[in-house]
Amino acid sequence: MAVLHRALFTWFNLLIFLILLVLRLDLRIQWNWFIVFIPMWLYDNILLIYIIFRMISHCKNGHDHISSLRRKAWYMTAVLTKLSGQGLLCLKLEATQLTLPAKVVLAPLWVLLLTLGCDVFIHLIQHSRY
Amino acid sequence: MIFSLNELVHWLGLTIFEIWINLVSLTIFTILLAMKIDNNYFAGNGGWWIIFSPLFIGDGLNTYFCAIIFIRMQMDGVMKSAILRALWSLTFLLLVFVFKYLLCKKLSGQSSLEYSEVLSPVFILLQLIAVRACQLH
Repeated sequence: MAVLHRALFTWFNLLIFLILLVLRLDLRIQWNWFIVFIPMWLYDNILLIYIIFRMISHCKNGHDHISSLRRKAWYMTAVLTKLSGQGLLCLKLEATQLTLPAKVVLAPLWVLLLTLGCDVFIHLIQHSRY
Repeated sequence: MIFSLNELVHWLGLTIFEIWINLVSLTIFTILLAMKIDNNYFAGNGGWWIIFSPLFIGDGLNTYFCAIIFIRMQMDGVMKSAILRALWSLTFLLLVFVFKYLLCKKLSGQSSLEYSEVLSPVFILLQLIAVRACQLH
């Protein structure tokens, strides 16, 4: 996929999600939070398929760059962390009788943010370009 | 993931340093948010402002960084791209700041705006980002 297609796909998903979020927060609709998050589920699942497809084509073409494969595995872990964070958030908002602590809900997000922060910082140091 | 860091830099018009600052401030913000929800810290009227303070500090640092880049580009003699870059950074930072400010006011109960109005700067920003996406190649 060209970068333009990927950007427009991301943009469209985000727009639909934000519209649904605003409608739900303003109580114009009483939908389940899992339904409100459908654009995000769709986006993450397509992202997972995209990464798996790229990993398979990487292995099939016989590239022996293990670092590139490791990078794709890290991307997949990041998407899975995001998915679990969203699932916990929906559970917290929907099942109020469960009384999930906010620390548990936000833990996957912290892991994701901290690793992303470290990754960006290493990139910043290695390439010395701001 | 779906984008490399360089593609994100081109699309959003942010530098890698700004992305890093935003990530760090967001992490501190979520930690404070968890403390507020679980342990009822930061109760009272000013509570939400304290929780949002890492985000506002991050915005301030980004503005300072953009001002330095603008001055350095101007000194290097690339006036047109310096002004265009500064304009985009200013619009981005302003819209994000207005969104956070309105959200903070709404959560502290100081305004009666609806969430659709609170998120309006984000929708404007999304339109601008869509225009930038069309310029990608």
